[in-house]
Amino acid sequence: MPKKISGSVLISLLFLAVFLVSSDEPFCKQVANYNMNVVLDTERKMISGEEFLTWTNDTEYPTDELWFHLYWNAFKNNMSTFLTESSRRGRSPKGFRMEDWGYCRVESIRLIDEDNFREIDLSPTMAFQQPDNENTYDQTTFLVKLPKPVEPGETIELHIEFLSKIPRPISRTGVYKKNYFIAQWFPKIGVFENGEWNCHQFHTPGEFFADYGTYDVKITLPSSMIVGATGEHREITDNGDGTSTHQFFQHSVHDFAWTASPHLIEIKEDYEFAPGKTTEITLLLQPYHKHLEKRYMIAVKNAIKYCSQFYGDYPYTTATCVDPGYNSRSGGMEYPTFFTGGTYFITRKRDDSPEGVTIHEFGHGYFYGMVGTNEFENAWMDEGFTSFLDSEVYYAAYENPLYTRRYFGIPLSFNEVEIPIESDGISSHRQTWNIDNMQRYAWKFLDGGSYGANSYAKGELMLRTLKRYLGKGSFAGMIKSYSQRWWFRHPKPQDFYDVVSEFADQDMSWFLDQFVYGSGKMDYAIGSISSKRPTQHQGWFNGEFRNGQTTEQESQTFFTEVLVRRLGEVKIPVEVLVIFDDGSEIRENWDGQYRWKKFLYSGPHRVAKAVVDPEFKLVIDVDRTNNSMTSKPNKIAPYKWTSRWLTWLQHAMEFFTIFGG
Amino acid sequence: MKVIINFLKGLKTTSRATRMIIFLLVINLAFSMILAVPMFHSLKNSFGSSLVGERMAEGFDYLWWEEYRDDAQGLEQTFSPSIIGKGAILNNLEGLIQVRVFDLPPIVLVFGLLYVILHTFLAGGILSTLKKPNLHFSMKKFFSGAGSQFFRFMLLMFFSWIFFLIIGQVVKGGFDSILESIRDTAFSEVTPFYFGLIFSAIVLFLFLFIQMVFDYGRIKVVLEDSSNVLKSAAGAFGFVLRHLGSTLGLFFLLFLVQIIFTLIFILIQGIIPQSSFMGVVMAFFCQQIFIFGLIWIRCWLYSSQMELYRYLK
Repeated sequence: MPKKISGSVLISLLFLAVFLVSSDEPFCKQVANYNMNVVLDTERKMISGEEFLTWTNDTEYPTDELWFHLYWNAFKNNMSTFLTESSRRGRSPKGFRMEDWGYCRVESIRLIDEDNFREIDLSPTMAFQQPDNENTYDQTTFLVKLPKPVEPGETIELHIEFLSKIPRPISRTGVYKKNYFIAQWFPKIGVFENGEWNCHQFHTPGEFFADYGTYDVKITLPSSMIVGATGEHREITDNGDGTSTHQFFQHSVHDFAWTASPHLIEIKEDYEFAPGKTTEITLLLQPYHKHLEKRYMIAVKNAIKYCSQFYGDYPYTTATCVDPGYNSRSGGMEYPTFFTGGTYFITRKRDDSPEGVTIHEFGHGYFYGMVGTNEFENAWMDEGFTSFLDSEVYYAAYENPLYTRRYFGIPLSFNEVEIPIESDGISSHRQTWNIDNMQRYAWKFLDGGSYGANSYAKGELMLRTLKRYLGKGSFAGMIKSYSQRWWFRHPKPQDFYDVVSEFADQDMSWFLDQFVYGSGKMDYAIGSISSKRPTQHQGWFNGEFRNGQTTEQESQTFFTEVLVRRLGEVKIPVEVLVIFDDGSEIRENWDGQYRWKKFLYSGPHRVAKAVVDPEFKLVIDVDRTNNSMTSKPNKIAPYKWTSRWLTWLQHAMEFFTIFGG
Repeated sequence: MKVIINFLKGLKTTSRATRMIIFLLVINLAFSMILAVPMFHSLKNSFGSSLVGERMAEGFDYLWWEEYRDDAQGLEQTFSPSIIGKGAILNNLEGLIQVRVFDLPPIVLVFGLLYVILHTFLAGGILSTLKKPNLHFSMKKFFSGAGSQFFRFMLLMFFSWIFFLIIGQVVKGGFDSILESIRDTAFSEVTPFYFGLIFSAIVLFLFLFIQMVFDYGRIKVVLEDSSNVLKSAAGAFGFVLRHLGSTLGLFFLLFLVQIIFTLIFILIQGIIPQSSFMGVVMAFFCQQIFIFGLIWIRCWLYSSQMELYRYLK
C-alpha cells in the first residue's frame, strides 16, 4: 500500500528540487558558453569536435574581430613558443615520431545568423597571430574578422568544427598508455577587455585567462573508459556500438578539461564540509596508487573544508581529483572543479605526498578558478596566492612534515627534523631575490627558476608576512573578502591593494610595492649587544672633583647598547625584544627606515639576549639567523653537530676503503 | 661448515688484535679530524652568537640549515639532516652504488683518496699482523709489514680500480640506460622502482665481489710473499671461482654481521640525548665504538679470509 508522503518529506523534496534547480543557476554573468560534442578516436588518438560558442561582449567597446587560443598547436612542432621556451629550460620533446606531435586544427568557424537562418563562414578570415613575439612558427593564437562589429552587450553564436591530434605528453596534456588527459584542447575564445583582446600565445610558464561561462560537453568514447571532467557528470548514454557518450555540465567556470582511461579506479563520496553544504568528491586513481585512496580523499576533504573557512564556501557541487598516470606529465595541474594530484607509490606518514600537491591544485580552484586572475600577466596572484593557501591549509590540517629523503627510491623520514611553515619558499627567494620583480609577465622572467621563485615563493612569503603584520584576524577578514569580492571576476594587482588597504585602514602601497614591484631583500639583524660598567668619573662634576671613584649607585649600573641593523632594502616597522639577565624584558618598536638604530638602557642588569622580529612576523626575511644575539652563545651545538657529521665522515672513510685495502 | 670454522677462527684471531684496531681507529679519527676542525668552525661561525645555537643544541633547526645550505661552499655542502642516524650510513651506501661519490666536494674527494691510499699502506700492516699464528701487535712489525707490502698493494689497488671503473661506468651506465628505457615505457613507477633495486643490488654485489677477490689477492701476496702482483690477483680470482660458495658465504656472513652491528648502533645512537655536554661526549664515544666495531669487522673479515685461504690451500 502506498504510503502517504509526510509534510516534512514533502518540504525536504521541495528543498532538494530547489537545490537541484539552483545547481544550474549561474553564479555570475556567463560570457563565454560552450556547447560541445566531441568524439575520441582511440585508434588514431584524435578528437573531432563540434563547438557551439555563445559569446557576449561584456565591455563598453565594440569589436569586429574575435581572438582564440589553440593551445595544442604548441605541440605541433619544436619551433612553437612553448617548446622553444621549454628547450631553453632543458625540456624538449625527446624521440618524437610523426604520430607523437599534437595539434588542434579548426576545420570551420561560422557565425550563426539566427535572423536569417544561415551561417556565415568566417574561416577565410582566420589568421594566426603572435601578440607576444615574432615567432611565426607559433600557431597557438588566431583571430577571425566579423562581418560587423559586436556591440557592447550583444551576444553572438559561433559554430566551430575542429580536429585535434592528441600529443604524446610533453607537458600537462596528452595520452600515454591509454591514460588520456585532455586539457587546453579546444578552440577557446580570449578575453575582450578595455577595448582590446587579451589572448596570449601558449608559453611554458603561465597558461590561463578566460571568461566565465557554461560548459555543456558530450564526450563519446569507448565504453570501457572511466571518464572524469570539469563539472557534473550528468548522463551516460550507451550508443550500442561499443561507445558511450558522457555528458558533463558546469556553469560559472572558465575552462573545461577531462580525462579518460580504462585503468582508472573511480571512488565517489559526498562530503558535507559545512552544515548543509555538500559537494561530491570523485577520486580517479591509478590502480598502483589504490592504497593511497584514504590519503587522497582526506587531502581533498581538508582542502575543501579549510579553503571554505579561509576563502569562502566552495560553491560547486563537484570536485574531481585525478591521480595522474605515470609519464602523463599532467601531475600538479588545475582546471575548474577538476585537478590532478600526484604521488609516488611509497610514501611516508609525515611526507606531504600526495597531500601537498592535491591541496595546492584544489586551491587553484579559488585563485585562478573563482578569483579569475590573469596568470599570463600576474602569475603571483595565481601561484603565489595558491602556494600560500596550500601551506596554510596543510599546516592547519596536518602535523608539520618531516624532512624526507629517498634512498634507492624508498623515502625515509628523519623524525628529528620537522619542516616549519616558514620554510616554504624562502630558500628559492633567498637565491633569486635580486633577479626579477614579482610583477612581470610570466614568460618574461630571466629563467624558470626566477619565474618559480617570484610567482610561487615570493608571492607566498609576501602574503605570510602580510598576515603576520596585519594580525591573524584582520588578515583572515581581508583575504576572505578579497577572495569572495573577486569571485568570477578578473582582479588586477591594484584590486588586491585596495582590499588590503581597506582592512589595514591605511594605504598599504608602501608595503606591497616593495614586494610586487621591487627586487630588494628584507634582512633585519641584531648588529651587536653589550653591557658595560659606566666610565669612571674623572674631573670636576657639579663642583666636586672626582678621580675615578664611582658612587654605589654607579657601581651597580650597566649601560646596555643594542644595535639593530637593516641590511636589506625592504623597510617595514619591526619589533625588538631585549631580555636582561634577570629575565626582565623590554619590547621596542623601530620604524626600520634608517640603516640602523641603537637602543640604550641603563640599569642593574646586563643584557642577555636581543631579538629583532621576535614574533617572526617578517617571514620573508632572508637571513633569520642574524635576527637574534645572546651574550652567552651555546657552546654545545657546534660540538654536537660536528660530532654527528663526524660519524658520517668516519664511516665514509672506512666504507670507501673498498677501493683500497 | 668450512665457512663457520674459519669465521670463528677469524674471530679468535681478531680478538687478539684489539690494540691494532684501536691504533687503526685513532688513525681514522685523526684523519677525519683534519676535516672535522674546519667543519666545527664553520658551524660555530654560522651559529655565531645567535639563538640558533640553543635550538640546535636541543634539536635540529631546519630554517637555519636551509640558510646554511644555500650559502654552503666545499665541505659545508656535505652537512645536511640526512647525516643523522641511518642517513649517514645510507648516504655512503648510495654514494657507492649510484656512483654519486663524485658529487662530493673536491676537498672531501681528495681526502677520501688520500685515506684510501693510507689504508692501502695500513692493509699491509694489518695482514702481516694477522698472519702470525701467535699474534702479537707491535708498531714496529706493523709498519715493517705495511712498508714491505705497500707498493704491491698499490699495484693491486690500481688493478682493482680497472674493475671498479668497469662496474661503476660500464655496468652501472648500462643499467642506467636500461632503467631509462624502462621508465620511458613503463605503465607505472613500480616497475622502474623494482628494476632499480635489482640493478643496485647487482652493482653492490659486483663491487663487493671485486673487493673480496682483491682481499684474497692481498692475502696471497702476504702469505706467499709474492712479488708478482698480477699473478696474485689472477690467482685470487681463480681461487674465488674455485671456492665460490665458501668465499662468498664467508664474505656475506661478515657483511651480515656488519649490517646487524650498524642497526644496533643506529638504535643506540637514537636514544642518547645530546642536548648536554655529557650527552655529546657519550654520543661521541658511542660513535667511536661504532667505527671501532667496523674496523674490527673488517679485520675479522681479513682474518677469516686468511684462515679460509689457508684451509682450502
